[in-house]
Amino acid sequence: MNIKDLKSKKTPIVVIDNSLDFFNDKVLFPEKLEKANTMLRKIGLPKLKNSCS
Amino acid sequence: MNIEKYPLKSGEKLEVFEFVSEGPKGRITKIVQYAPTNYKGLYNLGFGDKNAETGFIDDIAISNNGDSEKVLATVVATLYAFTDKHKEALIYATGSTKSRTRLYRMGITKYIDEALSDFYVWGEINDDWEEFRKDVEYLGFFVQRKTN
Repeated sequence: MNIKDLKSKKTPIVVIDNSLDFFNDKVLFPEKLEKANTMLRKIGLPKLKNSCS
Repeated sequence: MNIEKYPLKSGEKLEVFEFVSEGPKGRITKIVQYAPTNYKGLYNLGFGDKNAETGFIDDIAISNNGDSEKVLATVVATLYAFTDKHKEALIYATGSTKSRTRLYRMGITKYIDEALSDFYVWGEINDDWEEFRKDVEYLGFFVQRKTN
């Protein structure tokens, strides 16, 4: 893969920083998560397209 | 998506991402988290600023660092990275405020034509879902990666 390929690639290069594992299993945005769970209770999911889901 | 993005860092699970916005207001650390919801496989996208001194995370702050397009492109990039690792994941996103939700909608509108080659996108309206349409005010957004 050359530089041009890298630049046009949609998936970004992500540097792994283990210090960020500190946040795993911590809810950093509790109000937004609550909004999501409320949405789930009220209206559920859209009709999904991928057959595997 | 050839818009400039910030370099990304993440933990091993690729569920929490960090990048640094640079602009007239200085360097502002941004955090993106994909947090599991009560529905297995559905994650909530959270996004906000991290205070470098206190570590406090604020999803209300408007940093006005003159780089909103680059920031938005970087958040979209996390969506690719996250769904590359979590291929079956479903993602819900809504803004912390009405204006933030509007900002998300404008961002999605900007990238929708390209995004539709990789994702299904729905908008939340009137307690229901519809396939995302431009210029409709949605309460939230739902994203599913297309399988190839």
